[in-house]
Amino acid sequence: MATTVETTFRERLTRQPGPATKWLGVLLVLVALQFGAVMQTIMSTVPWGTIGGALPATAPWAALAGVGDALADLPTLLARDVIPNQGYQVPGEGWQGTFMGLSPAAAWGIRVSLVYLYSFGFVGWLGYGYLVFRRHYRAADWTPYDDMLGRLDGHRWGQFGLVVVLMFIVMALFAPTLGPTTVQSNIAEPFSHELQYFDENAGEVTTILVGEANLQSVSKGGGGRNVGPMQYDRYDRFHPFGTLPSGKDLFTFMVAGARVSLFIGLLYISLAAGLAVVLALVTAYYKGLADLTVVIAGDSVQALPQLLVLILLSFVLSDTWIAGIYNGGLLLALIFAITGWPYLWRAVRGPALQVSNEEWIDAAKSFGQRPVTTMRKHMLPYVVGYLLIYASLSLGGAIIGVAGLSFLGLGVNPPTPEWGRAVSAGQPYVATASWHISLIPGIMVVIIVTAFNALGDGIRDAVDPQSEAGSNEVAAGGGGA
Amino acid sequence: MSAEAPLLAVENLRTEFYTDKETVRAVDDVNFRIERGETLGIVGESGSGKSVTARSIMGLVESPGNVLPESSIRLDGEELTEKSESEYRGIRGSEVTMVFQDPLTSLNPVYTVGNQLKETLRLHRDLDGQTLTDTAIGLLEDVGIPDAARRISEYPHEFSGGMQQRAVIALALACDPELLICDEPTTALDVTIQAQILELLAEIQVERDIGIMFITHDMGVIAEVADRVAVMYAGEIVESAPVRSLYSDPAHPYTNGLLDSIPGNQPGGRELTTIEGEVPIPNGAATHCRFAPRCPKAFEECYELAPEPLPTTAGKDDHTAACLLFPEDMKREDAVDEHRAANTEGTDE
Amino acid sequence: MFGDDVDEGDVLVSLCDLKTYYGEDSLLSDDPVKAVDGVSFDIHKGETLGLVGESGCGKTTLGRTLIQLEDATAGEVRIGDTDVTTLTGDDLQRWRRNSQMVFQDPESSLNDRMTVGAIIREPLDVHDWKTPRERRARVRELLDTVGLSEEHYYRYPHQFSGGQRQRVGIARALALEPEFVVLDEPVSALDVSVQAQILNLLNRLQDEFGLTYLFIAHDLSVVRHICDRVAVMYLGNVMELGPTERLFQQPQNPYTHALLSAIPEPDPTADSDRITLTGSPPSPRDPPAGCPFATRCPMKIRPPEYDSVDTEVWARVEMLREVLRERSNADRSLTERAREILGLSSRFSSADEVHDELFADVTLPAAVEDHIEEAMDHVRNDNETRARAQLREAFGSVCDEERPKSHVVDDESGTSRCHRHRDEHDEPSRSQVVSE
Repeated sequence: MATTVETTFRERLTRQPGPATKWLGVLLVLVALQFGAVMQTIMSTVPWGTIGGALPATAPWAALAGVGDALADLPTLLARDVIPNQGYQVPGEGWQGTFMGLSPAAAWGIRVSLVYLYSFGFVGWLGYGYLVFRRHYRAADWTPYDDMLGRLDGHRWGQFGLVVVLMFIVMALFAPTLGPTTVQSNIAEPFSHELQYFDENAGEVTTILVGEANLQSVSKGGGGRNVGPMQYDRYDRFHPFGTLPSGKDLFTFMVAGARVSLFIGLLYISLAAGLAVVLALVTAYYKGLADLTVVIAGDSVQALPQLLVLILLSFVLSDTWIAGIYNGGLLLALIFAITGWPYLWRAVRGPALQVSNEEWIDAAKSFGQRPVTTMRKHMLPYVVGYLLIYASLSLGGAIIGVAGLSFLGLGVNPPTPEWGRAVSAGQPYVATASWHISLIPGIMVVIIVTAFNALGDGIRDAVDPQSEAGSNEVAAGGGGA
Repeated sequence: MSAEAPLLAVENLRTEFYTDKETVRAVDDVNFRIERGETLGIVGESGSGKSVTARSIMGLVESPGNVLPESSIRLDGEELTEKSESEYRGIRGSEVTMVFQDPLTSLNPVYTVGNQLKETLRLHRDLDGQTLTDTAIGLLEDVGIPDAARRISEYPHEFSGGMQQRAVIALALACDPELLICDEPTTALDVTIQAQILELLAEIQVERDIGIMFITHDMGVIAEVADRVAVMYAGEIVESAPVRSLYSDPAHPYTNGLLDSIPGNQPGGRELTTIEGEVPIPNGAATHCRFAPRCPKAFEECYELAPEPLPTTAGKDDHTAACLLFPEDMKREDAVDEHRAANTEGTDE
Repeated sequence: MFGDDVDEGDVLVSLCDLKTYYGEDSLLSDDPVKAVDGVSFDIHKGETLGLVGESGCGKTTLGRTLIQLEDATAGEVRIGDTDVTTLTGDDLQRWRRNSQMVFQDPESSLNDRMTVGAIIREPLDVHDWKTPRERRARVRELLDTVGLSEEHYYRYPHQFSGGQRQRVGIARALALEPEFVVLDEPVSALDVSVQAQILNLLNRLQDEFGLTYLFIAHDLSVVRHICDRVAVMYLGNVMELGPTERLFQQPQNPYTHALLSAIPEPDPTADSDRITLTGSPPSPRDPPAGCPFATRCPMKIRPPEYDSVDTEVWARVEMLREVLRERSNADRSLTERAREILGLSSRFSSADEVHDELFADVTLPAAVEDHIEEAMDHVRNDNETRARAQLREAFGSVCDEERPKSHVVDDESGTSRCHRHRDEHDEPSRSQVVSE
């Protein structure tokens, strides 16, 4: 019996290597498929030049760098150029330039499906890894977290939220791969990029500036001036969501916008949640004056009309250097964090105070545990669940907020794609054939926010099964717009 | 109803709770009676089913729990298990009332004590105006709350723990119940306050001639308040006897163990007698004696046969024990046969 | 560190006029809660000192002050040459190894997101005890010591029963090999049969490791079983302290007497000569000026001129004083004040009812009646303070005015705080008990 207790993780691993090897094997396949991209990231992010400069420029080193560069150029499964969807149709000869001569819609569809298959495969691999660890290598045969995951297992609404949120994150991560065209060529610098199409009048393949092509594919109501969802424009470009009034591709705009929304949302949430949880733990541990100070600070911030402050600050600071970083995304995230942390802090203050009254905190004090360690070990695990719930709920709120500001013409600087601006741009055409410009981004905002709320509900029911269902104040409060 | 019917007769009471994994039979085939003016003490450790028994009588067993259909609870000869929820509500407030361990769960913190008393009186006794106020003050005085005329307009949190429990008892007495169920009413109180409450309950019983079912885990309290005692273990009554007989002549090994593990009972010796192990969770019908794994006197048959409550000695019908060692004046094999016979009889029913 | 040079039976911990008040620094409340109000006693090495009393008497606060979970307001906790209440920083940290606490609620004292092994190991980690491998071995040894088994190392508290969880709490307290352990109601949340197992374990551990216990409890039968000496607390004061058997058989202090007589005997044939105390303890924010127990004491000294008054009548008079005291402490709600201002009613309108309730069925001697009538007039004139002062002047005694000193009451230097130990009064144990 004693031996079963004594084993370390490594010993358990060597005793039964089968399941872990299998799991690592799956990882190899997954990495191999994307090996080029991985190498590219390594080659481009690590400052090899500096390291190389410091070392004597010997032959083996140079060769190594060469190999690295070569590996970075290897084709990867999920790159645009492996499955290109941009081409032109020459009568009688079918599609030119597209993947295996398929139609651009089909090629694009294949690429999107592959991205999602790969991503969900990766998520599945992570989950499988956890299960392998739990079944074969974990010392404890049961932990309280097993019960939480078990409760999430039967929670359909939460699972729906999780899947949609994952799809949204994948959309943001793989934005350049997912769009039928790229932000750079289609939205940001259309007049610096060219495009080939088959000119029927001339009967030959002609080159045209993307910007000029865009002018011919605008969506401005009816009368032939509309490119709706799942349609081709006259340059054989496929538009899954149709085009904007400026003729730019809405889907590319949306996936790039997802990146912006997610960046702002995540940055805001990590800043606000970090601040909230630190303040909650410190005030719950020390109580008294510390608590009072934070209560006053939090109440003061909450007393400000958040939307108004957002509008004011983003207007006032719009010409400063900070507004230039990430096209104003950083500024927005900061403003959201500064005005939004009290909501999260209020949400976790209760649980933090509750856990601070448990006797195990006294026990830790009695043998001299350091306050920071006590907070981290004995309080944080109980608070973090609630933090996740409310972070998830207010992330939805932040997405609405950013979209709302962009709708008003504030926030992220044009031409950086942002969903709210698409809604705003489509506003005059809601009742026309170009309804898609406002409606699709609007519906997506609704779906994503609902999904984040569903995920929050799921986490809450998993963490705190006694709690009553149905309170979305935070989402409503954080929404603002 | 008929004069011979006891105030409360509980027969074959079985209450089950359903969880995802299993069915827990919290109360399994419990039988007892309470006469007017009598106090039945129910004693047992946590998980023995004593509180569930009380809740079953009060009709307070909620989903996922269920009182099984063969159970019978008769109050004044009237079957309670067949009552609808709304009929039960009428009985609960007026004929049977309950006092819980924590007085604050029975008192609403946002209303004054007087307000809550008056509300109950208005509902069940149809009083109003000055009579209502006077009756309420009178009730508080009856339960020994000094300065009742002023305290009637105070909120529960302004009362001390003992006074709160007195107020709860006043609420319970408001409708002249015939049966008062007390579920560990003094466990949360200090000994000096406990003494006050026990004295009060004894006075009330003499004055009003009501039946009291008194649930506790404290053998000392039981000795003081009860006329008869039922000892519960894992959902079953393992021994039932008049209080003196139980303490002078405890039969069941579990009762013996309980009495022996009271620290003050064995002065001198440093080592206390203990019952090793833990109370099991009863799931499903008993197939053997549930105490056998912890019993110092267990023998082979204990693991094969579920004992029935039989007289400890032949003819001594008021002292029963569910243990194969009894009746003690029989040879062991005969006693076991006796239990087996009683067992089959029970199944045939 | 401490106590190495202390022999079995010598003084290990010495409290001197220890006071712990709550809420002094709070901005909102005026009166602090005097949880511990001037306590002095010694704890000898190797003994178990019981600390009993009703809830709110300050026994838990005293225990927490001893291991520096609360800051003392005044006084000393002396161990050897050091006053523990003045320790800070590293000195305090080093000192903490030597005194540990076992908590009351096994549900709340173990962090249920940690394995049992990690919980017991934590004190060792904090004090950097040897190597991690040796710590793990120590934890397994401790699990075995408290009657659990080694394979419980990676279990979580959820998987244990109350008794087993309390064993884990004990193992954690023992991890650093302390000399002094504060046991804060360690068995009161457990069933009787499990309680007995834990008490046996505590006894065994004391013998094995030479531990000194401060055993805080409200269950007197447990205290009688496990303690060598017992201190009885009431309202922040130690009323009586003495060897267990003497204290249980011949209680010297009226409060101890009443407390002991309130324990229900597990024997239906026992004839109870119970002294039922009236009322509940006063608020520790506003303790009585004289003896803390004066408001409920059945043996309170009377002014000599009323010695002949019937005990029943006297009890009613004391009751009236108690009612008035409670009234002056009660908050007046806004609606009540509004009603008073509007002249609709006042809480004093019920004063006559109280008078009737108390004195309707007894005949008061003329001397007593005069004073009461005078006091009632003050009450009717809305001046309760005057009424109280008047009654105190008329019927008060040394018990109302002066805090009793500790008197030595037995051969083993047991002490009791009561004015009746003074030569001019009858001893409380011999004097007639006033009971209804």
